[in-house]
Amino acid sequence: MNYAHLHLLLNHFPIIGTIVGLALFLISFLGKNEDLRRGSYIIFAAIALLAIPTFLSGYGAQLMIKGPGISDALVQRHQSSALLSLWFMEATGALALIGLWQTPKSPHMPRWNVAAVLIFSLLTTGLMARTGNTGGDIRHPEDQTGQAATSTRDTVTEGTIGSIIHTFEPSPEKFSEAVTFSKWWWTFMMILHFLGLIMIVGTVGLLDIRIMGFLKQLPTAPLHRFLPWAMGGLGINIVTGLLAFIGLPENYIYSGVFWLKMLSLLLLGVNAALFYLTDIFAGVERLEAGEDAPMSAKLIAASSLFLWFAVITFGRYIQPLGDTLRPGN
Amino acid sequence: MAVPLIFNTIEQTALSTWLRESTSVFGFYFILLFHTIGMSLVVGASAVVDLRILGVASALPLKPLKRLFAIMWVGLALNVATGIFLLTAYPTKALTNPDFYIKLSFIGLAVFTMRKMSIQVFEDTSLDEMAMIARGKTMAAWSLVFWIGAVSAGRLLSETSKYVLYGHLWGS
Repeated sequence: MNYAHLHLLLNHFPIIGTIVGLALFLISFLGKNEDLRRGSYIIFAAIALLAIPTFLSGYGAQLMIKGPGISDALVQRHQSSALLSLWFMEATGALALIGLWQTPKSPHMPRWNVAAVLIFSLLTTGLMARTGNTGGDIRHPEDQTGQAATSTRDTVTEGTIGSIIHTFEPSPEKFSEAVTFSKWWWTFMMILHFLGLIMIVGTVGLLDIRIMGFLKQLPTAPLHRFLPWAMGGLGINIVTGLLAFIGLPENYIYSGVFWLKMLSLLLLGVNAALFYLTDIFAGVERLEAGEDAPMSAKLIAASSLFLWFAVITFGRYIQPLGDTLRPGN
Repeated sequence: MAVPLIFNTIEQTALSTWLRESTSVFGFYFILLFHTIGMSLVVGASAVVDLRILGVASALPLKPLKRLFAIMWVGLALNVATGIFLLTAYPTKALTNPDFYIKLSFIGLAVFTMRKMSIQVFEDTSLDEMAMIARGKTMAAWSLVFWIGAVSAGRLLSETSKYVLYGHLWGS
C-alpha cells in the first residue's frame, strides 16, 4: 500500500458516492419518501468524511508520480478541482448532518435544509465528476478526443464548461500561501483547533460517561442538546485541520501518527453510525435519572471516549514524529 | 533586566536535560499530551456547566452537575503537575515570556471563578435551580472568557518566546 494506491482506492467514494446519494435524494422527492431522503443524507455525511483522506492521499500520490512524463499542469488542474469540490462536499455533509439532527423532532427535514442540500449536492456531484475527470487526464491521455495526446504539456485547454468551473477553482499555491502568510494566523487556527477539541471532549465526553454509568443523576435526553456544540467543534476542527494540511502538507504527509489520527476519526464515524443508525440510540435516548444503559450502548460510549482521546494523542505526537513515512511506501 | 541564573541551574539538572533531549515517547511530548488532556478535562467540564447555566440544554437538571467540579479539579491538578515538568524542561523560555504570565493570570481568574461558582451556586442548598442560574450567570460567562483566554495564551507561547534556553535565543 502506497499513497498512489490509497488515493486510487479512496477516490471512488466521493465520485460514485455523491452520484448515488444525489440519485436517492432526487428520487425521495417523488412520493415524498422521508426514509429515502434520510438515507441520502447519511450517504452525504459519510462521503464528506471519506472525502478527507481521499484529498489528503492525493498529496502523497502527487509526490510519487512527479517527474518526467507527467504534466505538472494537468496535476495542478486536478488539484485545483479537488480543492473546490472538497469544500463543497464538506458543506453538503454539514448541511446533511444538520438535517439529520432535526429529524427526530419532526417527521420532515426543514424546508430550508432540503433546498440547501439540493443546491449543494447538485454542485458537489458535478464538481466531483470534474475532479475525477481531471484526475483521469493525468494518466489517461487516450480519453482526450481531438487533441494531441501528449502527457508532458505545460498548458491545458479547457472545454466550455471546464473554463467556467476553472474560474472558481483555487490555485493550491495561492491557497497554501493564504494559510501560511503569518505565524499569528497559523497560531489563531491552532487556538481554534484546541477550542474545537474542548467543545467535543466536554459535551460528547459527558454523554459518554453518563451512558457508561457515571453521573446517573442526569437524564440523557437533555445531554443530547449539547451535541450541536460537539458538531460545531468538529466542524471548526475539520476546517482548521484541512487548512493546516493545505498550508504545510509536508508537515503531515510523512507522519504515520497523522494517518492514525485520520483513521481514528473514520472509526469515530463508524461508531456514530453504529450508535445512531441502529436501535442502540433509541435505547438510551430517554434514560431517566438513575436508569442504567444497555451494555451495547456502554461499549459504544466507551469506544467513543477512547477514540477521541486517541485523536488528541496522535495529534499531539505529529510534531515530534513527523518523519516516519517515506513517499512510495 | 538580566535573566536569572537559577534558570540555567535548573536547565543543567539531569531531569531538565532528560525531558528536553530524550527520544523516548515518554519524554517531553508525553508530558505535553497529558497537559492537553488535563486542559480538555478542566475546560470541557467547566464549559458544560457554564453553557448549562447560560441556557443550553435547559431540561438538564443543574444540581447533579456539581459532580463535574471533581473532574475540573482532577484536570487542574494534572495540569499543575505536568506544567511543573514542562517548566522544569524550559524555565527560561517560559519565565522570560510575558505571555506565560498572561496565561497564568487567566488560569488564576478562571479557577477563582470556578471556586466561587462551586461555593455560591452549587453548595448553597437553599437555592432552587432558577435561583442558582440567576446567581451563576455572570460567573458562567466570565468563566468561559477566562478559559478561552488561558487556552489562547497557552497556544501563543511557542510564538512569543524570546529564549529557548538560558543564553540561547529562540531560533538560534
